[in-house]
Amino acid sequence: MSIEADLTIRNAQLKNRIFIALVVFSNSVGNLLMGFAMERMPDFSRTPFLSYVLFVCTNIWLLLGVVLMIVYMIAQLSMFSWADLSYVLPVTASTYIFSALLSRFFLHETVSTVRWLGIALISFGVIFVAETPVREEETENVTG
Amino acid sequence: MTWIYLLINITCGTIGDLLTAKGMSQGGELSDFGPRGLLRLIRYIFTYRLVLIGTICNALCFFSFMALLSVAEVSFVVPVTALGYVLKAFLAKWYLGEHVSWRRWMGACLVTLGVSLVLF
Repeated sequence: MSIEADLTIRNAQLKNRIFIALVVFSNSVGNLLMGFAMERMPDFSRTPFLSYVLFVCTNIWLLLGVVLMIVYMIAQLSMFSWADLSYVLPVTASTYIFSALLSRFFLHETVSTVRWLGIALISFGVIFVAETPVREEETENVTG
Repeated sequence: MTWIYLLINITCGTIGDLLTAKGMSQGGELSDFGPRGLLRLIRYIFTYRLVLIGTICNALCFFSFMALLSVAEVSFVVPVTALGYVLKAFLAKWYLGEHVSWRRWMGACLVTLGVSLVLF
């Protein structure tokens, strides 16, 4: 394999890994921030609509959460342009692992043994899929 | 209401992912992520019908998930919706014509099982 071809594959691998990290980070932190923000919002059914809209627009955590969810959507859509759906979805399921670790270390929630087992199973699933080429129909392609 | 929300969630989530994946793969690999590239991507999302309908379906999936959480337990909602990983792998093969190897099937099954356990 020529140096240029090797470099192209390495760049594609790097781009793929950066986007997996971006999808996982933006989705899990976005969910965390939105959950945190929603706990501090008034009851929708008991608040006048305009006041509720004002609460939404001035809640910095909610706005940050929404920005991260937009980043997540754009990053995932971008990944679909070079990777199979059956690759992207299981690989980005590492969101569940990252969310569990965030809740353990930032929210100080206890993670039960069964939950750690679940995290281990997801990790194995992610490793299984990450080892396959991003587009499986092609013989010579980039692995995640 | 639980079953109606669940049906909307699974249907919209599956259709949304299938259409966006199909639409994005038809537009060629993205490589420019500067301001111009991002503007081009946003314009593509809003003008390319498959991606637009897929994105609307994903938004409906998100809202039905929120609604579902208001009427059912998280420990019921998340494992059931996680079955979508296997369903989407099946449809990726059948509808998108992807080659889903045994490693990917195994991955999708392990993730579904793992997500069910993560709730405890």
